[in-house]
Amino acid sequence: MPIREKGYYKWDGEFKKSYVKWLPIFINGIKSVFKKKKSKLLFSFAAFPFFVFLLAVYISTKPELRMMKDLVKQIQSDAMLFYSFYTFGPLIFSMILLSLFAGADLISGDLKFHSFTLYLSRPLTRFDYIKGKFSIVLFYLLLFSLIPGILLIIAKIIFSGEFSVPLYVFLSALIFPIIISLFLSSFILMVSSLSSNRKFVIIIFFVLYILSNTIAGIFQGVFKNDYFLFFSIEKNIKQFGSLVFNIKPDFDAPTWISAIILLFMTFFFITILTVRIKRAED
Amino acid sequence: MEKIIELENINFSYGNFKAIDNVNIKIGNGIYGLLGPNGAGKTTLMKIILGFLKPSSGDGEILGFNIRENSITMKKKIGYVPEIDCLIPEMDGVTLTSYLGELSGMSKQEAIKRAHEVLYYVGLEESRYRKVDTYSSGMKQRIKLATALVHDPELLFLDEPTSGMDPQARNEMLELINDISSKGAMNVIMSSHILPDIESTCKNVLIMNKGKIISEQQISDLNIKHFNIYEIKLKGDVKIFREKLPDCRIERRDKGVFRIQLPNDFPIYSIFKKAYEANVQIRYFKQSKVTLEDAFVTAIGEANAN
Repeated sequence: MPIREKGYYKWDGEFKKSYVKWLPIFINGIKSVFKKKKSKLLFSFAAFPFFVFLLAVYISTKPELRMMKDLVKQIQSDAMLFYSFYTFGPLIFSMILLSLFAGADLISGDLKFHSFTLYLSRPLTRFDYIKGKFSIVLFYLLLFSLIPGILLIIAKIIFSGEFSVPLYVFLSALIFPIIISLFLSSFILMVSSLSSNRKFVIIIFFVLYILSNTIAGIFQGVFKNDYFLFFSIEKNIKQFGSLVFNIKPDFDAPTWISAIILLFMTFFFITILTVRIKRAED
Repeated sequence: MEKIIELENINFSYGNFKAIDNVNIKIGNGIYGLLGPNGAGKTTLMKIILGFLKPSSGDGEILGFNIRENSITMKKKIGYVPEIDCLIPEMDGVTLTSYLGELSGMSKQEAIKRAHEVLYYVGLEESRYRKVDTYSSGMKQRIKLATALVHDPELLFLDEPTSGMDPQARNEMLELINDISSKGAMNVIMSSHILPDIESTCKNVLIMNKGKIISEQQISDLNIKHFNIYEIKLKGDVKIFREKLPDCRIERRDKGVFRIQLPNDFPIYSIFKKAYEANVQIRYFKQSKVTLEDAFVTAIGEANAN
């Protein structure tokens, strides 16, 4: 007999005593991104840089194979291997696409369908909500940057037969993708909180990203001054990579400034995001 | 009587606009109606009680939890059916309901089991695997009720729960609300502009205007209180009769019957005197049943006059 005919009855279960409040947001978000159309295609594209580097790592341990000479030469040092991987153009581009794919509608969808009320009528704080949304984008970014990085370390150990990765390189290989993923997550979530229109969010994110690189490129070309790289998101990421992996930077400008710019922008994006969500609550 | 809600000197402003003006409430067990014209402060008051907004001054307790310090914990025991459509469109009914149960602190298994139960309860058993964005407006109201009930709250807030429903669906929703509250399973606060909905479900009513609680009474007391309301049938020029009674609220009912509300200090015999002066005949005269609308209009009128 349906409950409707029996009338309302109380739930006799118990609430979980301790739990991560935002975990359901994370799990549900992961599932819904995975179920999206073309997700497999994008994931394949995002995994492509890993397979390129995996092949290069294998070839580097087999001098008799004369393939991918430039890349193999470049990754002879461990630091250079991870720097090259994490700042590899297709990887950065696929991280931008992943940010858009996973994060563009995370907040804008809630704005559009007034879903904040659903979340905030539950025992969640605004920060639980933000952590839940952040974790979704972070998961996919780290899945295609940090995880392949770790797999490359393992592959290198397997192929070379010895553990030769210095500790600082190992730590850098863990820290760098986390910081870049935090930056991109805060960026896309901030843009997502600006509008309830997903297309607008995608356009704004892309325009800001492309525009920053274009402006930096134009100014660098016109004024012959590398300091204009600080306008570029992609070049700041590369400079920051040079700092973390202790590698000579591509541009003649202090690498620590790029680190400060990225950290400042992350902080700025999170602040805007928090303010936007507070406004939506009111 | 156990105090479910106790608010003291609550104030809240949006910029320079004072939305809540020194509100004091003590609400016990049962089902309460919250009435007021648009902009009266009902939704703001609900948001304060729900912990969405922090009052600029004042304090209070909901179910024994302080609204400033324990607003997050308190939400485990509160259910909320908002007026606006607020759904997650890509989810089906079961997923949405269990998801919100999990966010309330239920385990996944418990949340799914309970989601099925409450979806049956609100009459969405056939549509529970459909995406919620394909639901009709009546079904959306039901799913909102289901999501508010999934964690079995002690206190349920309903903001315009019958909004957008056809008469049959509305009756069913009111039946559900009556069922929930009648067994003492839950305390309910229901805000609605449809006065008959409040009348048919609530035992007590709070009337708000301009950010203040201007009246608090039991619906059963309405007939005994100070309302002078009569039904009369007239023959003659009603317009002149109306002009003779400028302070009275006169409504035309069916078949030439008028419903007239007199001010408290207005003697009944004066109606006959005014009818005589207006040269109209009173062919029917009977004391009328007082409705919630009468109480509402009177309270708002008195508040505005003050």
